[in-house]
Amino acid sequence: MNPTSLSTKQLKTGVRYIIIYILLILLALFMMGPFLWLLSVSLMPGRNVFSSPPAILPTFIDFDNYVQVWQFMSFPRYISNTVIITALGVVFNILLSSLTAYPLAVFHFKGRNIVFTLLIATMIIPSSTAMIVHYLTIQAFHLGNSFLGVVLPAAVSVFNIFLMRQTFLGVPSDIRDSGKMDGASELRIFWQLVLPLVKPGIAVIGLLEVMAFWNNFLWPIVVLEDPGKYPLAAALTYLNGQFSYNFGWIAAGTMVSVTPIIVVFLFTQRYYMEGIAGAIKG
Amino acid sequence: MMSWFRSESFSAWAFMIPGLLFLATFTFWPVIYGIPLSLTDYSVVTETHYVGFENFSRAFQDHNFIISLRNSLVYVLIVPVIQVISILMAILVNSRIPGVKMFRTAYYIPVVTSMVAVALIWSWLLGNNGVVNYLLMQAGIISGQVSWLSTSSTALYVLMFITMWKGLGYYMMLYLAGLQGIPSDLYEAARVDGANFLKLMIHVTIPLLRPHILFCTLISVMGAIRVFDEVYILTKGGPGTSTLTSSVYIFQKGLEQFNFGYASALGLIVSVIVGALSVLVFRLNRKGGVNSY
Repeated sequence: MNPTSLSTKQLKTGVRYIIIYILLILLALFMMGPFLWLLSVSLMPGRNVFSSPPAILPTFIDFDNYVQVWQFMSFPRYISNTVIITALGVVFNILLSSLTAYPLAVFHFKGRNIVFTLLIATMIIPSSTAMIVHYLTIQAFHLGNSFLGVVLPAAVSVFNIFLMRQTFLGVPSDIRDSGKMDGASELRIFWQLVLPLVKPGIAVIGLLEVMAFWNNFLWPIVVLEDPGKYPLAAALTYLNGQFSYNFGWIAAGTMVSVTPIIVVFLFTQRYYMEGIAGAIKG
Repeated sequence: MMSWFRSESFSAWAFMIPGLLFLATFTFWPVIYGIPLSLTDYSVVTETHYVGFENFSRAFQDHNFIISLRNSLVYVLIVPVIQVISILMAILVNSRIPGVKMFRTAYYIPVVTSMVAVALIWSWLLGNNGVVNYLLMQAGIISGQVSWLSTSSTALYVLMFITMWKGLGYYMMLYLAGLQGIPSDLYEAARVDGANFLKLMIHVTIPLLRPHILFCTLISVMGAIRVFDEVYILTKGGPGTSTLTSSVYIFQKGLEQFNFGYASALGLIVSVIVGALSVLVFRLNRKGGVNSY
């Protein structure tokens, strides 16, 4: 290969890289720009987001908005509400979906196909009416205005059951056989031998549900009569309704509500994205 | 009988019962109970009567419901747009260049944040004196301020844009997974034959992404028909009925006005439409195969 063709090749690769980076950065501005701007607004002292020309970058940075909204809104309470709801939701989903998925993956039993068909059928039927019936059910159980009432309708999902089943299918059957040889009960085999092997699947469900419960706002508003029990996302809609003129506060409050979930995502994105990608196989 | 207690069947059902009880209560029951409910005038304030199909005939004469159905169908128009853009994004972030993973993560951030936050940010950006108007006017694209969310002719499209913006990263990741499953020698072989980018797309990428396209189209069709959060937070269906989508209307009838019977009937009608659309998507992609979820 002569030197000139090598350098044209390098030049071509270089130009290709530059074009790709320009596209990547433009797209990043489009996807992240609104968040960066929100951060900027939250750090601007006393400026209106609708000033003309609109304030895009802060002239100087201060944290007054954060301090004030923190004092005003009793964030610790909303955060603890959110944490309780999220933790309950995650525990229910992990337990129930792994318990339900395990037999579907490894046991041979009558009715297995019926259960399967029923589960798949629910994925085709959309749930426009579900919320109304959920409301009636929760009232009938006397769980209105309680965290359990928020969590139970989403305590297990067909999607998670299928995700866990997929994971259990990957566990070698020798494990269960050897457990049986030693005379362990099915529950013990499940709990002590199999479950430790499917930690990645459990982590994925955990993450998906952390995001879902953390961000949920509508159902909590429907179930909880007492705004003091609201989780963060619901409290934020309330704050926005009450103080729509106080832009810095709302921006700061919004930043406080989204930062934890973004941090969780950044630390766990590898598993999370694998989980999302694993949801379909070509 | 004793032996049955030690059989696999017994263990299987014992394992599944807690989960199935929850599914029965919160997944199957709403579907089943929605049907008798739709045949009554059940509401909080009055005594309940069986009304037959009155709710259904009322629905088809309900002007607002028809409008909400139409708006929901318009909403489905974002589905192809989402697929095209997210496939292009996936191709872009599939490049093997340093730092590309960072960009993937950045594009995914809107997906993990709450719709409440996203809606709030965009409502500010889109305000009369907001950043979007400012930038568009500076660029000379529009001559005066536009009230994007309070103008009947633009509000629905703006909501569709926000839905798309929030969802792009999600579909991008699904397509990226698909792209990474395509053997690279297929591309090399096609390149040796002199195929350009467009030809590679048509003959290699798109056919091999078929199962992913089917899956993504299906979930985004359902998502578009069910769209609720962004509409509810930003416009509540207004101005007028210009952004009234079927879910918002059902929510208003059901959980704001407590007409449970009527809302259930509306829900059933929408369910049938979604079911029909799903079948249509499957037919259009008959060759595609979807895993059980």
